[in-house]
Parts: sequence; structure tokens; C-alpha cells
Amino acid sequence: MKIRDQKNFWSGLMFMAFGLFFVGFAQQYDMGTAARMGPAFFPTMLGGLMFLLGIIVTLSGLSTEHPDGKVEPFNFKALGLVLGAVIAFGLLLRPAGLIVALFVLICVSSLGSHEFKLRDVLLLSVGLSLLVYGVFIYGLSMTIPVWPVFWRD
Amino acid sequence: MELFDNLALGFATALTLQNLFYCFIGVLIGTLIGVLPGIGPVATLAMLLPVTYALPPTSALIMLAGIYYGAQYGGSTTAILVNLPGESSSVVTCIDGYQMARRGRAGAALATAALGSFFAGTVGVLFVAALALPMVELAFKFGPAEYFSLMILGLIGAVVLASGSLIKAIAMIVLGLLLGLVGTDVNSGVSRFSFEIPELADGIGFVSVAMGVFGFAEIIANLEQKEKREVFTSKVGRLMPSKEEFLYAYPAVLRGTALGSILGVLPGGGALLAAFASYTVEKKVTRNPKIPFGQGNIRGVAAPESANNAGAQTSFIPMLTLGIPPNAVMALMVGAMTIHNIQPGPQVMSSNPALFWGLIASMWIGNLFLVVLNLPLIGIWVQLLKVPYRLLYPAILVFCGIGVYSINNNPFDVTMTAAFGLLGYIFFKLRCEPAPLILGFILGPMMEENLRRAMLLSRGDPTVFFTRPLSLGLLIAAAALVVIVALPNIKKKREVAFQEVT
Repeated sequence: MKIRDQKNFWSGLMFMAFGLFFVGFAQQYDMGTAARMGPAFFPTMLGGLMFLLGIIVTLSGLSTEHPDGKVEPFNFKALGLVLGAVIAFGLLLRPAGLIVALFVLICVSSLGSHEFKLRDVLLLSVGLSLLVYGVFIYGLSMTIPVWPVFWRD
Repeated sequence: MELFDNLALGFATALTLQNLFYCFIGVLIGTLIGVLPGIGPVATLAMLLPVTYALPPTSALIMLAGIYYGAQYGGSTTAILVNLPGESSSVVTCIDGYQMARRGRAGAALATAALGSFFAGTVGVLFVAALALPMVELAFKFGPAEYFSLMILGLIGAVVLASGSLIKAIAMIVLGLLLGLVGTDVNSGVSRFSFEIPELADGIGFVSVAMGVFGFAEIIANLEQKEKREVFTSKVGRLMPSKEEFLYAYPAVLRGTALGSILGVLPGGGALLAAFASYTVEKKVTRNPKIPFGQGNIRGVAAPESANNAGAQTSFIPMLTLGIPPNAVMALMVGAMTIHNIQPGPQVMSSNPALFWGLIASMWIGNLFLVVLNLPLIGIWVQLLKVPYRLLYPAILVFCGIGVYSINNNPFDVTMTAAFGLLGYIFFKLRCEPAPLILGFILGPMMEENLRRAMLLSRGDPTVFFTRPLSLGLLIAAAALVVIVALPNIKKKREVAFQEVT
């Protein structure tokens, strides 16, 4: 068997997995009856449909060629750096404060670009810190800690 | 005339200093972000949604609407000057707009886009105001069965009229519906698919989904491509089109406006479809053009720009009157209303008349701001285009991060958004269109609720959807759409139509 359209083949498998996931976990809830549907009814229905659609998409990936069918390799560097920076930002915000979190977010995510220039990144961090402070803290008076825990009184 | 009383109330609301201010800010920020390539209206709205939490609901919605058409318009500026569509509905504008810019007529192209959009916006707003009352009356005839069928039609319509694989788009809708069900079930109080995570008991935040799938995933995808931008900064040229150009362009504006207004109301319609359709119509209607389409014909800018703005306005109709979003942007607006504790639907008009008509009136004012802002400020937007992407995307991430965090002051939401960023990136790699997912996500709980009610009323008899005439009609329409698109002949034509313009 030959995969003619990798993108469809894999997305079909992904849909099937999602379908199984929702159908499987829905079974711990009450199904109810058609007139009085329990919490499991609609998810089971939809999950089943999702699984069927997944099969169709997978099969189409096996049967039909597509000019844009090849799955390009993932850019794990950009993916990891951007999402990692965002997660770090969220986790740092409370203990380390806005300014530190913001520097980490900008510096780490910038590494994902083809052209990284330290000077520009630092300037950008300073500029954005001022802007964010002005807009969110001063302007919209949001309650986000600005400085690290040990600096606050 | 009731219509004029209503519009008067609307303008009284929209013209308060506070609302004028937020409308202005919305349009300004919307344009600013819309101009930046790679961020479309959906991502822009998701990004700025949290900023409006603190505002009163009317001001918040006015500002969001302003952001939407600001972003819409900003996208055309990028399309004309850089040949990069800021968002999908300006893909068409790129074709002739950029060629006009290369011929040194960038100014005329921008002015045509602005004035055409303003005209179309004005007509669109009147259309919305006139159609709102009858639509609401119709909506009150709807029972749960009709609502369920209408949502099916809406979802099917949304995928049929979009480009790409039909079956995958339907799968994305179903996935969206399923994700929308995560959290506490209102009927039984059972917390579904939450895996003992307290944050998930309230459901997945829709800002996380929208921002992750549209914002983050797009950024990562953009980072893969090397930057190549060519900006015609020095040659914006004289702004006003010549008399000859004006006379040549205005019939296209009229046609674009008419087409856009109608297509905007349809399920799945809105700015994107309107722009594509009107460009195709222009190509058919115009005989022996002096400058061929694709080489800088001004009608190729005037028609799609008018159409996408008219469509952007009238796609508010199903959202405002039925509570059913016809496209991803309107899904975000529904989300915004829910956050402000307004349940979208036909009752909004009677329970919140000031909000309803104020929002409609503010659309016209917003369009006026657009013209006033864009023509004189074009120089600033051009400067913005020169900011390299490597500086832009960290800034976007900062605003997204603060935005998501501030919804609940909880780092969990930020992590959740990152997770959806990963999922969105996988979608991008696997050629899965994410817009239907958002629509499904918003409609999931509504659909389940209406299905349950309909089945409860019919005592478990599923034929209720086929025996009630209105519901049957809606379902037949949905089935017909699928059949028509699946016909091999039309399937081929549909693929060609979408390829022709891109």
C-alpha cells in the first residue's frame, strides 16, 4: 500500500484518534435516552462521526494524489522556542513579575528567527516593557505584578 | 418609521464621547495590526479581546467591531503595497492592487479601496438596519428543532463556500464541536473531559483556541519562510484617482457592494467569499479592458474591496439576530458577547436596544473614521511595513501573553494557548483549514442544548427535524449544498475558481 497524499493520510489518523478519544472518555458518563440525553450522548455521537470522517480522509490519502501532498519537516526549533517562551512567560509572571517575564519571552522567542541580533532584542525588550507598562499597568490599571516577589513590599 | 427611531437611538448611543473614543481606538488599532503582514482579523480580534474586558459591554463590542473592519482595511493596504495579503479576503486585492502600485498608481489604488469600502460600508449598515427587524421576527418563530437545523445549515454552508477539502473541513467542524463540549455539562452538572483539572471544568477558553490556532501557529509557520518583502514606499503617488479612473471604477464599486451585501448574510459568507465572487464577476462583466485584469486594472481593486467591506458588515446580521455566527470572526464576536454576559440571539434587540442599534450605528461611524484615518496616515502605515518580522513577532507574543493571562489571572490559560499553538501548527502542516474549528467550537454547546430540547419536546422522536416545515427546509438546503458541491463537475469548477484568483 502506498501513501499518495501524506497530509490527508496523517490528518485522517489524527481525526480518528480524536474520535476514539472522545468516544472512549464519554463512556464514563451517563448515556441517557433519546428523549432525555445524558452527558455522554452528544459526545459519543460526534466522536463516532469524527472517527468515520477520519477513516474517509485516511483512505483518500491512500487513493488520491495531491500536488501538495508531502508533509514538510517540522521546524522544531521555532516551535519549541516560541511555545516554550510563551509557557515560561505564563509561569514566570506571578513569581518574577511582568518585566522579567517579558524579557524572557522576547529573548527566548527571538532565538527562533533566522537572524538574531542581541542588541535589537534587548532594545525591543526595553521598548516593549515601557509600552506594556504604560498601556496595561498605567492605562488599563491591570493587576499584574510588575517586579519579582522579593522586590515587592 | 420604526427604522429611523431605531437608528436615532443607535446614533445617540454611538455618538457619546466614550463610545466615539472606543470606536476610534478600535479602528486605529485594528488598522495598525491589520497592516502588519501575517496577522489577520481573527488573530487580531483574539489578541485584543482581553483588552475590552474592563469596558462596558456596548463600548467593548463597538471597539471590537472597529478592530474588525480596521483590520480588514489594513489588510488591503498591505496587499496593495507589499503584495502580501494581510488576511485572506485581501488575497484578491493583491492581484491588481500590487500591479497598480508597480505602475506608480499605489495612491489611486489605496484611495479607491478606501472610498469603495466606505460606500460599501454605508450601504451595508443600512442593509443591516433594514433586515434586522424582520430577521428577529423570523427568529422568534424558531423552536429548538429549527435552531439545530439552522446550525447544521450554517456549518455546512461555512465549509462548502470555503476553499480546500470538504470532508476535512467537516471533520474540523466536528472536532471544534467536540472541543466546545469540554467542561461542565449544564444539564447534568457533570464535568466532561476535564480530567480533574479544575480550570477545565469551566471549559476551554475560546481565546486560547483562537489565539493559539490562529496567532501562535501562524507565527511559527511564518518563521519557516525567509523574509522577502518589497515595499513601494517612495511611490505611493497622488492619492486621488483621476476622473477617468473614477468613472471607470464606480460601476465596479456598485456591483461589488451589491454582491457583498447579499453574500455576507449567507451562512459561511462574509468578507472572503464576497471578495472572490466579485472579482470573478468583474472579470466576466468587463469587456475589452484597457489594462487587463491581473496587470493593474482599477476595477480589480474597487470591486473586491467594496464587496469585502459590504460582506463584513452584513455578516453581522445572522450573528446579531439569530445568535449564529456565519464565520470565524463572528464566532469571536459571539464569544465576546458571552464574556460580557449577553446571550446572543433574537432577544438582544429587545433586551439591549441601545447596544444593538448602537453597534450598528457605530459601524457607519467606524467606516468614516477609516477613510479619515487611512488616507492622510498612509505614510505612517508604510513606515510600519518596514518593521522586520523578527522584531514584530516577539511583540505580538507579548501582547498575546498578557491578554490570555489577564482573562483569569491564571498561567494555566497561557499554557493552554501554547498547546493550541502546537495543534494549530500541526493543522498547518497537514493542510487542515482552522476556521471551521472555531465556528464549531462556539456552536458546540448551543447545538447540544438545542438538540436536547428538541428531542425532549418530541419525546425522543428524531423525526421532529423532518416534520416541522421550517426545520425540514433548512435541512434540505444543507443537504442540497453538500450534493451540489460533491457533484464531480461542480467540484472541478469550484477548485478552479479558487485557484484562478490565487
